[in-house]
Amino acid sequence: MKNLNRRDFFKTTAFGVALATLGAKSAKASDKMLSEDRIGVLVDTAVCVGCRHCEWACKVAHNIPTTDLDTYSDNTVFKEYRRPEQTALTVVNEFENEKNSLLPIQVKTQCMHCERPACVSACIVGALTKEEDGSIIWNDDKCIGCRYCMVACQFQIPTYDYDRSIDPHIRKCDFCHDRRKEGQLPACVNICPNEALLFGKRSEVLRVAKNRIKRKSDVYVNHIYGEQEVGGTSWIYIASKNFDKLKMPTLVKNPAPGISESIQHGIFAYFIPPVTLYALLRTIMWVSTRHKDKNSENLSDIHKDEKGEES
Amino acid sequence: MKKILYILIPVIIICFLVITVSSSQTQLHKQENKVTVSKNQNSKISDKLTAYDVKGFTCKSCHVNEYPTKNDPGLSDCPREYMVSEYRSPKEGPDVVVINDMSDNYSGVVFSHKLHSQMSEMSGGCTGCHHYNTTGPVLNCRNCHDKNRSREDITVPDLKAAYHRQCMTCHKQWTLENGCNTQCHLQKGTNIEQVLESYKGKEHPKVNSPEKMLWETNSDKGKMVTFFHDEHNKLFRISCNTCHNQENCIKCHEKKPREDYSKPVKIQKSLEEHHSRCNNCHSGNSCTKCHSGQELSPFNHGKSTGWTLNSYHNKLECSKCHGNSVPIKKLDRNCNSCHKNFTKGKFDHKVTGIYLSEVHMELECKDCHTNGDFSKAPNCKSCHDDKSYPAQLPGTRGKK
Repeated sequence: MKNLNRRDFFKTTAFGVALATLGAKSAKASDKMLSEDRIGVLVDTAVCVGCRHCEWACKVAHNIPTTDLDTYSDNTVFKEYRRPEQTALTVVNEFENEKNSLLPIQVKTQCMHCERPACVSACIVGALTKEEDGSIIWNDDKCIGCRYCMVACQFQIPTYDYDRSIDPHIRKCDFCHDRRKEGQLPACVNICPNEALLFGKRSEVLRVAKNRIKRKSDVYVNHIYGEQEVGGTSWIYIASKNFDKLKMPTLVKNPAPGISESIQHGIFAYFIPPVTLYALLRTIMWVSTRHKDKNSENLSDIHKDEKGEES
Repeated sequence: MKKILYILIPVIIICFLVITVSSSQTQLHKQENKVTVSKNQNSKISDKLTAYDVKGFTCKSCHVNEYPTKNDPGLSDCPREYMVSEYRSPKEGPDVVVINDMSDNYSGVVFSHKLHSQMSEMSGGCTGCHHYNTTGPVLNCRNCHDKNRSREDITVPDLKAAYHRQCMTCHKQWTLENGCNTQCHLQKGTNIEQVLESYKGKEHPKVNSPEKMLWETNSDKGKMVTFFHDEHNKLFRISCNTCHNQENCIKCHEKKPREDYSKPVKIQKSLEEHHSRCNNCHSGNSCTKCHSGQELSPFNHGKSTGWTLNSYHNKLECSKCHGNSVPIKKLDRNCNSCHKNFTKGKFDHKVTGIYLSEVHMELECKDCHTNGDFSKAPNCKSCHDDKSYPAQLPGTRGKK
């Protein structure tokens, strides 16, 4: 009995050590720190003229069939509010300018490339990854089409090839990952005639945004959208109108995966729940067996007594 | 021994759990702290820069030479923020400017400089485009704006953006086929000389100005506001850009309204913004000067100033009495202020319509016209106890 217990003890400790090393490895992989030089884009809606060239360039860069650039001059599309979809990873919408109705405000929408992305956190197979440079890309080969990322995204950005019955894909802006690997700018940034899309280091872009608001305090609302929203985003916006009126969701400063991941990476790390469960069951077992032993000892005592009395 | 082991194992496991949970939480905290630290550093850097821009001006910020003089100011090429901007008249600028810095990618542009500079007089002047213009030579956009979009210093827009922002801010409704390629970018095979010739000497037509404007307001001081535009402009010689200095071009040039924007231009302004133009001069006046229940009557010299203009004064230019200063100077009522020669003996009293009797001709002007105020009735009381004007006259009435 004594030997068996010792063996049990060693087994448990060995199992624990093995788990701890495994756990440490997985923790390292998820702690991939963002680069100090991570990229960002400033969308200056006061400079955007709504030419929609970015929409065209995006489609060309991502091999999505499109009409000629000339057809994008058609302003009637602004009558309806549009969202990014599998055939258009970025769209420009128009909003009324109360200060001057002849100069409406245009706002480009695409993936914000969050600093602490909910989609990456929600992806159960690791198809979506947050790169060191700040961009969020996805791997079609890994994706199983669960669409958790679509539910998780606060900006409702990832879209799904619902019309493709075989091998449908999740689609969203990938910060022109392929173009940037070749040293090119993202397609939309490159084509913008007014440089309403300013590409650079996120820290640098943020500084420019602050400076613009400071210099033209009569033009801009004192709010950099994406500086702090859901823990910050790579794409940041400045505008002459409150962002809730530009259909930008009002969000808290804390990143969405903050709570869920602290539970997952804290309590669920190192196989803690199964180990706890095991410990709990073993304790119950020990308590119940001890009880049994005592009972059996008592029984044998009674027997002995009975035998003694008999003798 | 057996019992101790049974107790120890779960205790060890629980301790292990507690430690791992707490350590993972502190890790999270550490990460957050790191982020905040880097943010603070950024803000420090930006504070430093702006402090330099505003306060850190030295002679060297603008002048590159050791001893700048008026003739040789040695101004630095690159103008900086918050720098002195100099007013330049549209006449000083060229008629046409050809922009072809990036013509390898885009076809060149012939820009009607004079037309635009004349229009700019009503919307901020030259500095609207030539921002941070120093007293030195007018600089080209390419002096400061980099041709590359992918560049180190992103605080200044690139050249393509710099050009487009100048045009597109006003020509926002241009499309590729109806604007950009027809009005601005020259197409292949276009004869530049011909285009240049067509712009030569072209000037902005005179702007039609309204005689008067009527507004209906919600004010309880009086719903109607009458504004005599011509009076302010022509009579009081207030130049257009005194009031019209931040106008948007499309306020006049909205020729083909897009379906959604066919409504009249209605710019939302605060109460102060609405009154700011009037308050430049009329800040001390009561509300009822403009606000009334009905349309107001135009300017009347007698009503407004208490000095009715007679047939002589009526024919005069305002500047004859009031000079050329704006706002117009208030004059005293002493005739001698203008008419230096109106003294005893030299002044022909017949021009007033009253032919003085011989006795009265001998008197000094101020004997009857007390305090030299000729707008009031003359005073007879100093000599005559029983006589008063106009019941009794110091002579006879006659032709003026």
